[in-house]
Amino acid sequence: MGKSLMIVDDSATMRKIIMRTVRMSGLEFERTEEAGSGVEALEKLKTGPVDVVLCDINMPEMNGTEMVKQARQLPTCASTKIIMVSTESAEDLIKQVMADGADGYITKPFTPEKFQEKLTPLLN
Amino acid sequence: MITTVSLKDTLLDSAREVFETMVFMALEGLEDDTTSLGEPTLLGSITFKGHLEGCLGVCCDEACAKTIAANMLGITSPEELTENDVSDAMGEIANMVMGAVKARIQNDVGTVEVSIPSVVQGRELKNSLGEGAVQVKIRVNIEEQYRGEFSLQYRESKQQ
Repeated sequence: MGKSLMIVDDSATMRKIIMRTVRMSGLEFERTEEAGSGVEALEKLKTGPVDVVLCDINMPEMNGTEMVKQARQLPTCASTKIIMVSTESAEDLIKQVMADGADGYITKPFTPEKFQEKLTPLLN
Repeated sequence: MITTVSLKDTLLDSAREVFETMVFMALEGLEDDTTSLGEPTLLGSITFKGHLEGCLGVCCDEACAKTIAANMLGITSPEELTENDVSDAMGEIANMVMGAVKARIQNDVGTVEVSIPSVVQGRELKNSLGEGAVQVKIRVNIEEQYRGEFSLQYRESKQQ
């Protein structure tokens, strides 16, 4: 069965850019969806499992670190791979969000090769 | 310890990294360029606080902003772009350049917390932190077709 992807970012443009970069990386997803905030993402994640979530950190309403913590409490997210995609590059923050339940971290600006490198091992 | 000279280089290197990776356009620093950027201009800004507080701005004219947005989104005809696409793209440029600057200076300056970016359109736009702020500004040639400006204004926080 094909994999599913959710992109979480408050910027609609950045969601399109991430989607385009994922396609350029050669990775294929049968189903893709978007969420404009951590709250919207959690609502969608409650309704059914998603294989991979690419999530921004610096968002209004609910930031990405809080979204990861709450997503990890959901039965539907038990096997979901959550990758943070952010301009934040402080080591302490990355360690913290990984400890909170993220499976990987990609810093902006990014390349298709970076998505391939980080996502391929998680999809196999 | 950061200086305005090293910050100019940091700002230009950061802007170049973002433009080469995400916008697919080459940037070249311009010395002593004070000519108008054209009208109307878009200004993408992002503020920061922590050991340093201030804001970073990215400014260019509308035609340049549309080309930037089109390149970021992989759209060949800028007519397909909405106003929101262009505004969002300028905000993301400010966000990513700030992130790249922060990554380069955080070992020297300590914690810096970044806000959500904002974008305004108008004439003769500029950010101002008022008296006592240090300002670093660079003019750039974008793909030998447009001119843009990156600015960084900051002061050391009293709350350290």
